[in-house]
Amino acid sequence: MSDIATRPARTATARTGLAIAAMLVAAALVLRVFDPGRVDWVRTFFVIFGSLLIQALPFVMLGALAAALVEVFVPIGTLEKLGRLPRPLQLPAAALSGLAFPICECGSVPVARRLMQRGLMPSAAVTFMLAAPVINPVVIASTVVAFRGRTSMWAVVGGRFALGMLVAIAVGWVIGSKTTDELLKPNPEETHEHLLELGRPEARWRRFFVHLGNDFLFMARYLLLGASIAAAIQTFLPASVLTSVADLPVLSVVAMMALAAALSLCSESDAFVAVSFAPFGVSGQLGFLVFGPMVDAKLLALYGGTFRRGFVRVVVVTAAAATLVGSLWIGVLFG
Amino acid sequence: MSGALVVRGTAQAVAEARPPRRWSPSRVAGTAVLGAWAFLFWFLWLSGRDALYLSTRTAWVVPVAAALLTAATLGRLASARVTTPETLRAREAWIMGLMVVPVVLVLAAPPATLGTFSAGKRSGFSGTGFAASASEIGEGELTLVDVAAAQTTPEGERALAGRAGESVSFVGFVVRRDDTPADEILLTRYVVSCCAADAAVAQVRVVNVTPGEFEPDEWVEVTGPIYPLGREVIVDAQQVVEVDRPDRPYLTP
Repeated sequence: MSDIATRPARTATARTGLAIAAMLVAAALVLRVFDPGRVDWVRTFFVIFGSLLIQALPFVMLGALAAALVEVFVPIGTLEKLGRLPRPLQLPAAALSGLAFPICECGSVPVARRLMQRGLMPSAAVTFMLAAPVINPVVIASTVVAFRGRTSMWAVVGGRFALGMLVAIAVGWVIGSKTTDELLKPNPEETHEHLLELGRPEARWRRFFVHLGNDFLFMARYLLLGASIAAAIQTFLPASVLTSVADLPVLSVVAMMALAAALSLCSESDAFVAVSFAPFGVSGQLGFLVFGPMVDAKLLALYGGTFRRGFVRVVVVTAAAATLVGSLWIGVLFG
Repeated sequence: MSGALVVRGTAQAVAEARPPRRWSPSRVAGTAVLGAWAFLFWFLWLSGRDALYLSTRTAWVVPVAAALLTAATLGRLASARVTTPETLRAREAWIMGLMVVPVVLVLAAPPATLGTFSAGKRSGFSGTGFAASASEIGEGELTLVDVAAAQTTPEGERALAGRAGESVSFVGFVVRRDDTPADEILLTRYVVSCCAADAAVAQVRVVNVTPGEFEPDEWVEVTGPIYPLGREVIVDAQQVVEVDRPDRPYLTP
């Protein structure tokens, strides 16, 4: 922010536009003429990168749609009423509200960001953001379908719901009373919006579409970064490194959490992958299913672009510790 | 006549008081990015290329995204004329340009799917993570999905063992490892629950193949009796013919 204030930013000109167009044409020509996809690892990277984007971007769009609706149609102060709940109930209520938001993790980030800007307590917004992708009905249903017929089904399904809630609440509790300004990075596009609003208020429908586009464009750029990192990891990750620790009690859970973070799977499908890790036990599978939708390569890029430095550290450390301890306990009790 | 003059004068005064709307470079650039992504999703849907990235279970997101992005593009374009246009910083313009690169990548690159390279990386940790009941495996036409699912539970393995000697017909691509004998191939197909990122490997060992006839990544149809041996499944090839890559190269459990 201080960087923006002290150094005048260069304005895009027609020459900038031409240079960008030339870059895109050159990229298309290189792809057509040289076909780098002939190289095995390049092709694998392209397919995984493309599939992550094509599958996740619609959910980012749905999240941006919900966020724009909140921004334009929810009156200022409405969400502050949630703060009147008794404090011990605030975070569980925020986590449970994830039940009403059946989309995956990419969509919950823009919504949480907008909820904070509209007055919801940041700790509650973060709790909602982390819980929704784990406990929403679509995710729970997909977990039931994936684990049906297994003796561990109810331990995994119930454990995922309960532990997802608990971990999200734990992170919200650690966030504590931090303010929105202390957590959120400013978005340059929104600075423009406020300048415009000083002149003459725009019609509601125009504001809706401006917020929809801005939120999508803001989140999508970090999704591109995260998807490229996740695709690179998936392309080169040697599987044997992970399978070799399946028999080690704590390390196996840590390995599964690390794998979930590396693969960056959608929370609506990760159960179908997790079920194949039977040698890692209920604890390992829960570590995969709870930690993955809260912390993964593409989410870290989204968090890094949305939140201030320090937030990512808090989420990763708290979620990792709570998931590890919770998964081990559930494994001991029900595994 | 005088009344008309008064009305015209008032409208002129209002027009002069209201600053004219001009195109906002920032909003126009955002519109272009949204439009590019909308075009990509329409293209994927209409051309069927979504099958190279998604399973049938999640294919619905493509037309939904196409419609939403188109609406977002038109809405942003309609709101791109403002009284005080925001400037577009060069850095922001380049970021928006880079956001279109994946669109160019998908549109310009020849269609491709996961192949041999990925099979080696995935077979270790992405076992097929979907259940099929023993009764489903024990009856009806056997598919590669059944074979893969059978390897995940003892009941499934037993049900598949009961089908030993039955003739099957599987379509997949050829994988050869360093230690694969010359007269064998690993017939492989990816099973995708959501998108290619969660692809799991379904694989059978095909024996009695003419050495050197098929190259890795070639798509073939294998017909012959099946012999499940524990976690390994063997097909004794009676016929192996080269086929085109299926329109839907990934299987959905």
